[in-house]
Amino acid sequence: MSLSQGIFLFCLAMGAAFFAYNAQRLVRYLRIAGGGSRLNDIPRRIWNLLSIGFAQTKILRDPVAGPLHASVFWGFIILQVGAIEILVQGVARGFAYGNFLPAPLHWVFLLSQELTAGVVLVAVAALLYRRILVRPKRLQGDRVHSGDAILILAMIAALMVTLLLVSATQRVINSEHPVAVQPVSAPLAGILMALGTSPNVVEAILAVSWWSHALLILVFLNYLPYSKHLHVIVSLPNTFLSNTSGPGRIGVMPLMDLESESEHFGASDVDQLTWKNLLDGYTCTECGRCTSVCPANITGKLLSPRKVVIDTRKRTMELAPQLVSGDAPNGDIREHRLLDKFITEEELWACTSCRACVYECPVSIDQLEIINELRRYLVLSESRFPEEVQPAFEALERNGAPWAFSPSSRAEWAAGLDIPTMAELSERGETPEVLYWVGCMGSFDERAKKTTVAVARILKAAGVRFAILGQEERCNGDPARRMGNEYLYQMLAKQNIETLDRYKVKAIVTNCPHCFHQIGNEYESLGGHYEVVHHSTYIAALLEQGRIPLSQGQAGAQRIVYHDACYLGRYNDVYDAPREVIRQALPVIDVVEAKRSKDRSLCCGAGGGRMWMEERTGKRINLERKEELAATGADTVAVACPFCMTMLGDAGKGTDGYVPVVDVAELVAGRLKA
Amino acid sequence: MPSVLTYAEVRGGDLRKISLEAASAARALADAYGGEAHVILSGGPGVGAHAGALGEHGADVAFVSEHAAFAQYNPEALSALVAERARNGYAAVLIGGSARGKDLAPRVAAKLGAAILSDVTALARDGDALVATHPVYTGKVTATLRLTAGSGPAVVSLRPGAFTAAPAPRTVRIETAAPSGDPSAVRVQVKETPSVDSRKLDLAEAPVIVSGGRGLKAAENFKLVEDLAAAFGNAAVGATRAVTDDGWRPHSDQIGQTGRQVSPALYVAVGISGAIQHIAGMRASRCIVAINKDAEAPIFKVADYGIVGDVFEVVPALTAAIRAQRAKG
Amino acid sequence: MDVKFRIAASGNAVDETGLKWDMSDFDGYAVEIALQMIEKLGTGEVVVISLGPDAAQEVLRKALSMGATRAVHLKSDTVPFDSAAIATALAAELKDGGYDLIMFGKMAIDSASGAIGAMVGEMLGLPTVHGCATLEVANGKGFARRELEGGAEEVTFPLPAVVTIDEGIARPRYPSLKGIMAAKKKPMESKPAQLGAVRVTVDAMALPAERAAGRIIGEGAAAVPELVRLLQTEAKVL
Repeated sequence: MSLSQGIFLFCLAMGAAFFAYNAQRLVRYLRIAGGGSRLNDIPRRIWNLLSIGFAQTKILRDPVAGPLHASVFWGFIILQVGAIEILVQGVARGFAYGNFLPAPLHWVFLLSQELTAGVVLVAVAALLYRRILVRPKRLQGDRVHSGDAILILAMIAALMVTLLLVSATQRVINSEHPVAVQPVSAPLAGILMALGTSPNVVEAILAVSWWSHALLILVFLNYLPYSKHLHVIVSLPNTFLSNTSGPGRIGVMPLMDLESESEHFGASDVDQLTWKNLLDGYTCTECGRCTSVCPANITGKLLSPRKVVIDTRKRTMELAPQLVSGDAPNGDIREHRLLDKFITEEELWACTSCRACVYECPVSIDQLEIINELRRYLVLSESRFPEEVQPAFEALERNGAPWAFSPSSRAEWAAGLDIPTMAELSERGETPEVLYWVGCMGSFDERAKKTTVAVARILKAAGVRFAILGQEERCNGDPARRMGNEYLYQMLAKQNIETLDRYKVKAIVTNCPHCFHQIGNEYESLGGHYEVVHHSTYIAALLEQGRIPLSQGQAGAQRIVYHDACYLGRYNDVYDAPREVIRQALPVIDVVEAKRSKDRSLCCGAGGGRMWMEERTGKRINLERKEELAATGADTVAVACPFCMTMLGDAGKGTDGYVPVVDVAELVAGRLKA
Repeated sequence: MPSVLTYAEVRGGDLRKISLEAASAARALADAYGGEAHVILSGGPGVGAHAGALGEHGADVAFVSEHAAFAQYNPEALSALVAERARNGYAAVLIGGSARGKDLAPRVAAKLGAAILSDVTALARDGDALVATHPVYTGKVTATLRLTAGSGPAVVSLRPGAFTAAPAPRTVRIETAAPSGDPSAVRVQVKETPSVDSRKLDLAEAPVIVSGGRGLKAAENFKLVEDLAAAFGNAAVGATRAVTDDGWRPHSDQIGQTGRQVSPALYVAVGISGAIQHIAGMRASRCIVAINKDAEAPIFKVADYGIVGDVFEVVPALTAAIRAQRAKG
Repeated sequence: MDVKFRIAASGNAVDETGLKWDMSDFDGYAVEIALQMIEKLGTGEVVVISLGPDAAQEVLRKALSMGATRAVHLKSDTVPFDSAAIATALAAELKDGGYDLIMFGKMAIDSASGAIGAMVGEMLGLPTVHGCATLEVANGKGFARRELEGGAEEVTFPLPAVVTIDEGIARPRYPSLKGIMAAKKKPMESKPAQLGAVRVTVDAMALPAERAAGRIIGEGAAAVPELVRLLQTEAKVL
């Protein structure tokens, strides 16, 4: 073995060893937290890996940065093939793919490396330009390490340059491959030759380039654990292990074991989260897409989903070494816990649980899960929450509704409509086709009651045999759960499940998307299994089947913009049904889209229990969204959620150019044949 | 021939309106027993001068107890005084349910070993028993209660404003009632402090109340309400729970199920949505006017007259109109 | 109290089907201020006591989950509408308890008599202050503020004493799950209540008459002249 081989082998071994050391250290850190296996529904996980990971579907949602990053990522993969050749060459002199690959295949390899290196170089240049000169908003922020990003981009550029120099100098020495196969290094080689570079210099350039490239690979690899570019290693596994795009039900909060003897409920520090949350911390690329779509952040609140994740990583790096080392800690290791010292109450309560951050994240991080666990801790362990929330909790306990209304007033909207209750039907030994679950807004809020009645009238007109629970209905528990009060939530949910099972209910149509999400998705883990649809889906189906008699008269041309409810859209992928309902209800109609629509829709601001909290800083979220909707020039806003109805209906009330808000069901009900 | 004893509340040297209400109620009850209405009048030196007014409202005898120790409210000595007097064959002891009356009545009852009917809105004799009505469950239900005292008097506290002060003039006989024991040798020491702004008109006594709620948006906007009250000339200012919880107005101004229950001739609700707990406190008003910008606000369901509009426009206009109206005489 | 009441068939009670029992609002303030006092002193215990049927134990449990130390349940399947009878039972239990401060809510939010606390104070022969808007204790003395119509009183008194608590004094804390779990293990003693003679009974319970519907007479400042006219001529209040 020659000296250079020996040195290289030494470097390789050192590089590999150091990397292995860091890898095992980072894995050990993950173990300070809880959480179990995440290997259910492998086919779905593989699909996510292929689509979100390899096909970069989420990355490509940004029309500029998307293709640039995708180029670098795909290029990276393709270039690994060449990297392997180089690393092996360092140890086994004379190793080359060309030695055993048939010529056409080898040319494909060479061309791929060339083109890729060229594309990556251009992409990196564009990315550097973007980061240094354009400075887009989401790449700024106090948790963003821009220096880190620029360093990495510079290293990648250097890797590409050194790679091309290696090829170019090799061509000068021995141009065995056709020019067409090395379209970048061939001209480069040409330049070197035209400059009359002496063979010694060429050899020197080759050696320097080769060693630089090889060592840069090892340096790059070992820099990753200390950089946000750790995502290069962990993002694909993270995408595989994530539940953010399934498997199982999306947006379902994990069930808490409230009987456990444990001292704490929820999480106040990173070791009380799951290892997956900590892995999310490793995976964050600081791209800021989550923060750029966060309704709270957009309107000037302190909350930044990116900060939540980066803080999780920071704290992990602080706490885990102490816990893992087993040495007696000096000082109180909890003094600097994640809650309060990193992530404040103000940030946590600003969240509307709209899930835009989770949806947008290209590496499948679940920011919302961390926020929810911290909220659970605040409420269950320390009883710390905004004081205006207490009456809502107390009303839920007392009345089974988040306001001061007694259960006996629940079915008042149905007076004179001749709608049977489950109790009445059960007494007659009958069962309905479907249970109409009204929800608290639909039962008590004056404006929402109109939607409730509209849906009921549509069901009747379509000849659907339905019933309501009436006074036996209780809040589905979503406000309590989203605000962190898991205890109250489970109490309410179990009560509802008991009622539903007592009547052997199977099919449910809900008035409200939150009821829909709870009863259809989250009740499962408590043993409630029902077929649940939201009223927009149900009505769309009825319209499709022609069961709803609509009057044929022309309804003057209207321009309507539909606002996607978070719990219908991002949580449950229901985007088309409400739009179909609008189109079928009003044939002469111009349905326009807001700038941010469907899965990019901006939340109305009521979710995450914020309906019961005061908004004290920044611009009102509902106003921000209403302005966007009004800017479409629509004369009506259509919604499918009573909370969106309230928030958007209230926004801009009393001003000129106020755009009224209606539920899609009201549009249909207004067109029922008399 | 059993008689009825009543307690007259004097504060700051003035006879409170509720004392006249109680005197009238005592007169009516005494007539039902065919007996006399007696009143205890205690306070600092000179309090006996109020006996005449009590006589105007039906008191046959006034037991006057003037003592420096009674110049301030003295619950221990006062309750002893009343209880001692009440042991002389009275059928009932009536006490007006002001803040002090509600404090005094249970003490008197306990000292007498008597049963008590609290905060009643109507009172009548039914043979051996007293029958009274009393709002319960935050005013959502009216209970009719029966007190069968057996031997010994019953103690009754009266809701302010529920009984009307009616003239039934007679010459009142004055007797002195000396407290047994030293009324200054008490454990509970009370010192009255004047209110922060010495508004003379109390919510329980004002014929007109102008009340403000969240619709006023900020504490300083309560000036609108105060101006309107001033325009009426005989109005007191009230507030909703939301507003007192936020500290815009003192708690004692709160009208509602847990605050003051009022029954003025006219109640003007400004920027009040009409939550059920507020309505419980004012629904007994003779005439209710509501001003609110939300036509769907529940207050309009209980208001006799409602104006839908911006309080910042309507209230100043109303203030000017009332002033003009009063100027016309 | 967000319930829509119905009168029971008997005519002298409300229909209790579907009703949930909870701690009375003023009792909640009293429990909260008691807990705050003990926390400030750093020592002492808060004992909670209630007279009623078994359902009263749930309310006591809630107080325990807020942080009270132990509970005493005076069992009585029916609770008479007689303040004196109830006060007698409570006084008998509290007499030998050696308490520094016995606290009541100013009134029960349902029966709304507001007499029991002060009666118990008298029966025990202790200094009694009824309707405290503020309360402090220091060095064996108590200081309270009572609100009157258009005024207030500053009251000083020695301990031991009996006080009743008015609202505005403290917001009852929301029990944490930790508190709820801990409360399950705290001692709750149950014994029969020794009620006094019952002299007050309920003849009838009725829903108050609905006010006649009013009307919206107009919009904005333009409606003011019409309002003044109606107040003068129709309602005759001007």
